[in-house]
Amino acid sequence: MLLDIPFLLILIPLLPLAAAVLTAALGKHVLGRASHWPTVAAVALSSAASLLLVVAVRHEPGHEKIVQLWTWATVDAVSPPPPGEAPTSGYPGVRGAPLPVSPTHPHPNPPPDGEGTGSFHVDVVLRADPLTAVMLATVTFVSLLVCIYSIGYMHGDPGYWRFFSYVSLFVFSMTMLVSVSNFLLLYVFWEAVGLCSYLLIGFWYQKPAAAAAGLKAFLVNRVGDFGFALGVFFLWTTYGTLDFTLLGRPELAHGGTAAAIGLLLLAGACGKSAQFPLHVWLPDAMEGPTPVSALIHAATMVTAGVYLVARCTPLYMASPEARYVVTAIGGGTAVLAAIIALTQTDLKRILAYSTISQLGYMFLALGTGTLLGVAAGMFHLVTHAFFKALLFLGAGSVMHATGGVIDVEKLGGLRRRMPITHWTFLFGCLALAGIFPFAGFWSKDAILAAVAEKSHAGDATWLYLILFLVGTLTAFLTAVYTFRAFFLTFYGRERLEPEAGKHLHESPWVMTGPLAVLALGALAVGGYFQWSGDFLDHKGFLLQTPSLAPLVEQEEMGAAPEPGGEGAHSSSGHLAVALLSTGVAVAGIAVAALLYLGRPAWLEALTALMTALGLYGLSKNKFYFDEIYRALVVGPLERLAAVLAWLDQHGVDALVDAVGAVPRAIGATLRPLQGGLVQFYAVLMILGVLALLGALLL
Amino acid sequence: MTNDLAALHSYLAVAAVLVGIGLVGFLSRRNMIVMFLSAETMLQGVSLSLVAWGRFHGDLGGQILVLFIIALAAAEAAIALALVVTLFARRGSLDIAAWQDLRESDQPPFEEEDLPPEPSDEPAAWPHLAPAGIEPASIDEKEHYRPKV
Amino acid sequence: MIEPRIILALATGLGAVGLGLVLPGGSGRRRAAGALFALAALVAWASLLPGVGPWLANGLFALLAAVTIVAAGAMISCRSPMYSAIWFGMTLLGTAGLFLLVGAEFLAVATLVVYAGAILVTFLFVLMLSEPEGRTSYDRRSWAAMLSATTGAVLIGVLSLTLATGLAGPAGPRASGGGLPRDGLPSAPPTEPADAVGGLLAPSPPAAHRPPPEGPYAVAQLGTELFTRYVIPVEAVATLLLAALVGAAVIIGPRRTPQAP
Repeated sequence: MLLDIPFLLILIPLLPLAAAVLTAALGKHVLGRASHWPTVAAVALSSAASLLLVVAVRHEPGHEKIVQLWTWATVDAVSPPPPGEAPTSGYPGVRGAPLPVSPTHPHPNPPPDGEGTGSFHVDVVLRADPLTAVMLATVTFVSLLVCIYSIGYMHGDPGYWRFFSYVSLFVFSMTMLVSVSNFLLLYVFWEAVGLCSYLLIGFWYQKPAAAAAGLKAFLVNRVGDFGFALGVFFLWTTYGTLDFTLLGRPELAHGGTAAAIGLLLLAGACGKSAQFPLHVWLPDAMEGPTPVSALIHAATMVTAGVYLVARCTPLYMASPEARYVVTAIGGGTAVLAAIIALTQTDLKRILAYSTISQLGYMFLALGTGTLLGVAAGMFHLVTHAFFKALLFLGAGSVMHATGGVIDVEKLGGLRRRMPITHWTFLFGCLALAGIFPFAGFWSKDAILAAVAEKSHAGDATWLYLILFLVGTLTAFLTAVYTFRAFFLTFYGRERLEPEAGKHLHESPWVMTGPLAVLALGALAVGGYFQWSGDFLDHKGFLLQTPSLAPLVEQEEMGAAPEPGGEGAHSSSGHLAVALLSTGVAVAGIAVAALLYLGRPAWLEALTALMTALGLYGLSKNKFYFDEIYRALVVGPLERLAAVLAWLDQHGVDALVDAVGAVPRAIGATLRPLQGGLVQFYAVLMILGVLALLGALLL
Repeated sequence: MTNDLAALHSYLAVAAVLVGIGLVGFLSRRNMIVMFLSAETMLQGVSLSLVAWGRFHGDLGGQILVLFIIALAAAEAAIALALVVTLFARRGSLDIAAWQDLRESDQPPFEEEDLPPEPSDEPAAWPHLAPAGIEPASIDEKEHYRPKV
Repeated sequence: MIEPRIILALATGLGAVGLGLVLPGGSGRRRAAGALFALAALVAWASLLPGVGPWLANGLFALLAAVTIVAAGAMISCRSPMYSAIWFGMTLLGTAGLFLLVGAEFLAVATLVVYAGAILVTFLFVLMLSEPEGRTSYDRRSWAAMLSATTGAVLIGVLSLTLATGLAGPAGPRASGGGLPRDGLPSAPPTEPADAVGGLLAPSPPAAHRPPPEGPYAVAQLGTELFTRYVIPVEAVATLLLAALVGAAVIIGPRRTPQAP
């Protein structure tokens, strides 16, 4: 019974939802300091259930189980076309039968080219397959650790109960996002996680910077979501359904349509996962509490875009152009963010740009369209969740100890005072840089190997070659900025201000416990999954996902003519890539050590050189993206809003006031009739009588 | 036109005039008593027309109705005078224009225009009576005689 | 000669002007002029009366009518309310005479006894409590004299026009011989049977159209009708009088200290 998939699927999101409602209702007055209990309990149970779900899905035949809950909406078409003819329901391009309610029993005779009635049918359907199970396990486990950490971090905050309510709501939304089985519900929960992100970024809403950051996040996401919505519309007009089973028939969308759909969905993914050009919100989102940054903006929410692209792999395989755009954006964003991170002074912002860069890696991998690429992307998602959350929580620990100081130039030499934080942070940095045997090594290596493969054979090899070089450069830069941050924070002389250094202490066990667990994960998770082959092996767990089946077919087709060649090529190629990536990573660490642990003169010289080249300014000012957007988009909109406000005040309001003035004028005209004199009234009466008489008698 | 009809017309005409004159008096006089008297005149006109109609139709109903009108006029006079007395007790005048408080709040009150002052009715000198029995010296009567009120 | 409508319009205008001038508010000379205008209007208007029949051949009707109307006009134009009351008494006398001419003897006497004897006297009593001599400001002025006079004159004009045109029935003036006679007061009456008059004025059943009772039994017949056919209205009016009496007493209220006017 414990392994009953429908039960688990419903339980996993339901528990956090219940905790959210409970905490919201009772938190302020009843639970108070104990507001964390419902959330922690619910997320812990959900996490356990997710692990059980993984086991259950492994044993499920076909590795997929669809659970339909209820019908949400159904709209019938106006005039069904006569049977047997090409479908015309008034909408050009509307084809495809409405697929039946429970795709566990698929349509017995799927119409060959889609004759349909054009009606609209949406159910609340949940799906359990390996992709979902992997996401659920990652999300809930990291959420659990962050919740435990937050007990210590948010201690004493007046909005304590509100925080846990929002976090539970977020966990509910995220788990539903990865569990649902059609695009409309996906969009709904896409927006829901966006809402939770807004609420949590602006958690300390009295701070204007936090409120503005929340608004910026939401609005930039909106732009991406607009593209996403258009993509969903396209999907419906092409397939006639929004259920994920449409992914089993990618052949209906070909050429321009597939490219359009792919690009529009990518727009949504860019918004949510902070890729160029919609990356501007993530650094500002660091105004929120650090656990929020760790949970939402490192490990879970920003990976929703990656999940989306991974889920729609068949669509992307049908359109090479879309794939090129995906990889190009991924690679470009990766190097862009890495360059910016080199000169930032806010520790959390460095980590934010690092997140953007690593997400770029994931998109880089997904855009290759090969089995290795998609698997590597998902693998990196999981490992990144571990070490990035670890790094953020470590930064939070530093902030907690110093009373809020996060500027690396004001920190230093903390390793003596905060040993646990120091060692766990080191594990995280090593994993991020991709040093053997830490987690990041295996996944980043797989990504670079996938890109390298595509740069040798296949289509558009020149693009992948360039991207391979970009990826390698980014790996170097990643190591540099990561260890720059590490050395500046934990080594060197203490540059702390006196009042911050007063009560510098290691964080309580409720905060360092999760740090330790995540450090362990950062060390071992990569190696473990590489050894078990769950991700990268053809027959591994992840690739049993039915929607990823085309990848396996493609790989097997490609591998069939050369049974041994491909394998040999891949293994030797992989080794070369691994050596290269480790080499650049070590080189990066060495450079960082040289600059930040060695003589200051070298750092100054390099800085002067870069400033002279103009690169330093570009990097420090984030390539002026915010200023460009403000000038191009925000400024004109503000002016338009001012014009419209003026019009509303003087045009519409004046009209309404004029309407109001008419009765007043009539009243003022008629009021003198009430003069108070009896004889005046009598005159009016007689005049009325005369009028009557005249009308009647004359 | 028969005699009867012509007679009817005449009486009705007179009644109409009475009603009209009574109306003018009601609308223009400001003394409450005179206003009421004008209303009574209108009632008289109506009574006259009713009697004429009754005569024309040969029906005594007209006269009976007039009888009721007289009774009602009496009742009405009683009530009206009671009200007039009460109002007079409040303001000390029989002016109907003294009661204009029920007007709209932003309307100006009715103000009278001034009339030239009346020539004083008081004679320049009152006649002096000589001690009893002696005829007073002749005084121009026209000087001290008040021709009108 | 001249069309009745024009004479009527003239009479209306003159009457308006005359009445307006004669109302209190102007000097004595103006009021005298107003009285003259009113008189002229009265003569012009009276010339249009259909003077036919034994009723009008007798100038008694003309005299009584003139007395009544002049008295009413004088009543509204006197400055002193006391004089107005006296002129009202004169009006009552004229009306009583007209009642007698019509044959309503009981009514004539009732008017004199009840109206002139009781109601008028009560008015005089109340008048005595206040300024009876007409020196107050409100007695010396009228409110909107011209407007009131015009309203009254127009009313009289409309009613007279109705008499002239409407009362002759749907057959119109043609059947009745041209409405108001063109040559003024008493003219030779055309001899037409009574039933030739159609329309609204046809007496209801022919049986009802009988000469009114004359002689010493007219009052008895009135009494009989009162107490057989109209007994319920009589009782109702009696109750009404009682209610008015009680109401008047209530309105006056308990005895107050007398106030100086």
